Formats: sequence, C-alpha cells, structure tokens
Amino acid sequence: MSDSQVIMKDETCSTANGKSGSMESTKQDAEVKPFTLKKWNIVAMWSWDVDCDTCAICRVQVMDACLRCQTENKQEECVVVWGECNHSFHNCCMSLWVKQNNRCPLCQQEWMVQRIGK
Amino acid sequence: MSTPARRRLMRDFRKLQEDPPAGVSGAPSENNIMIWNAVIFGPADTPFEDGTFKLMIEFTEEYPNKPPNVRFISKMFHPNVYADGGICLDILQNRWSPTYDVSAILTSIQSLLDEPNPNSPANSQAAQLYQENRREYEKKVAAICEQSWQNL
Repeated sequence: MSDSQVIMKDETCSTANGKSGSMESTKQDAEVKPFTLKKWNIVAMWSWDVDCDTCAICRVQVMDACLRCQTENKQEECVVVWGECNHSFHNCCMSLWVKQNNRCPLCQQEWMVQRIGK
Repeated sequence: MSTPARRRLMRDFRKLQEDPPAGVSGAPSENNIMIWNAVIFGPADTPFEDGTFKLMIEFTEEYPNKPPNVRFISKMFHPNVYADGGICLDILQNRWSPTYDVSAILTSIQSLLDEPNPNSPANSQAAQLYQENRREYEKKVAAICEQSWQNL
C-alpha cells in the first residue's frame, strides 16, 4: 500500500515538472521564431444565389449560351428571353420556335415577350 | 459533325441513362445518332402486359423544333397505330412542343397503349373491337404481345 502511494506521489511530481518544463520551452520558441509566415493564398468559392433555369428547348442553363450559339461560337451574343408567363428560354431557341407556333412551349399560352437580356 | 440537333440528342441520351423512366428504354443506333432504337414494355395490369415492343425513332436536324418520326417495328394492334407501325398521337403531330425529349416521347407512347383515343382511329378494326367487343380486342392484343417476344 505504502509503495504504491509513493509511486503516485512521484508521478504527480514528474507531471508537474514536465508542465513547468514545457512552459519554459514555449517561451524560448517564441523568442527563436523557427517559422515565419511570409505569404498566404485565400481560396473562395461562389455561386449565384438564384435558381438558374434550364432552357427547356435546348436543355442548357439559360445563363450559358444555347447549343446553337455554342456550335457557332457566338457565346457572347446569346441572351435570355422572358415571356409574360414568366417562362424563360434562350432568345435564339425561342425565336426559332415562335416562327412555327407562337405559344410558350411550357404552358401553351400565347407567347408575349416580357424582357430580353442577360 | 456536331449540330444543335445532335447535341440535344446527346443530352436526351444522357438524361435517359441518368434518370431512366420505368418500362421504356432507348438508345441511338450504333453509327447514327439521328436514328434511335427503343423498346416499350407493355404496362402491368393492361392487355399489353409482358409485351416488349420495338420502335424506331428518326430525327431531323430541325429537332427539337420538329417532332421525330416514331413507328413500331414490332407488330402492334392498337386503335391509334397504323398497319405500317406509324403512330397517331397528338404530341407527335400538332401538339408537339420543343420541350419534349426522347424520355417524354416514349412514356407518352407507353401510356397511349392502355388509353387509346377511338376518335382518331388509325386501325379501324382495333378501334371497333375496342369499343364493341373488348374481349375479342384483348385476345388480339394478347396475340401481338406473344409475337413481340419472338423477334427480340
């Protein structure tokens, strides 16, 4: 019984010693400065905080160029058209469709342009 | 050569693989993306149950502004299917919308099987039996279901 008590005492002692020892070494490290931060790069991701609709005609997102403009390398000219019914398509896709049927392909209402743009 | 119609068909194919509708399948033919082969399984609890019907779909460069030509290759007995396999379905003619894709076409044809429109008959015998003698109609349908297994 007494033996084990002695060992316990010793352990407590050594831990206390170790603690004080490490604190001293931290002080020394701070003075020596083994590492210095010279440069850092921050990387961030972003995305639109809106639902990006897919053009139901060509199946490409309306914010990207339609399949026809991608094929013909006219990405910059490709704009979006919104109808009075609030459905949106690529203007190129829609202008081809309304030539044969002036109705919204999604709701079948008569197609009236509300806005054209990006 | 990649054209808007061909690119759209590639998207249709990808969608069909990623989100396959129940009871239909389809794929472009090996060397021409404008010609597709498809299979429609007869819906359960209908006279067409267990039938495996082959179809051919032909697209033009005007797709999706113009509908494809769709016809059954397997023999069919249905009020709205012609003897040559051609299909009388409004969405493939005057009610076509460029928002439809292969998946929508095949599921529409699948639902047409058990919901024929006797007002625009393409097969007058089938239309007449459907309206006047359902038992005989179902017998004829069962016969073409059995035939459909023979040339898979």
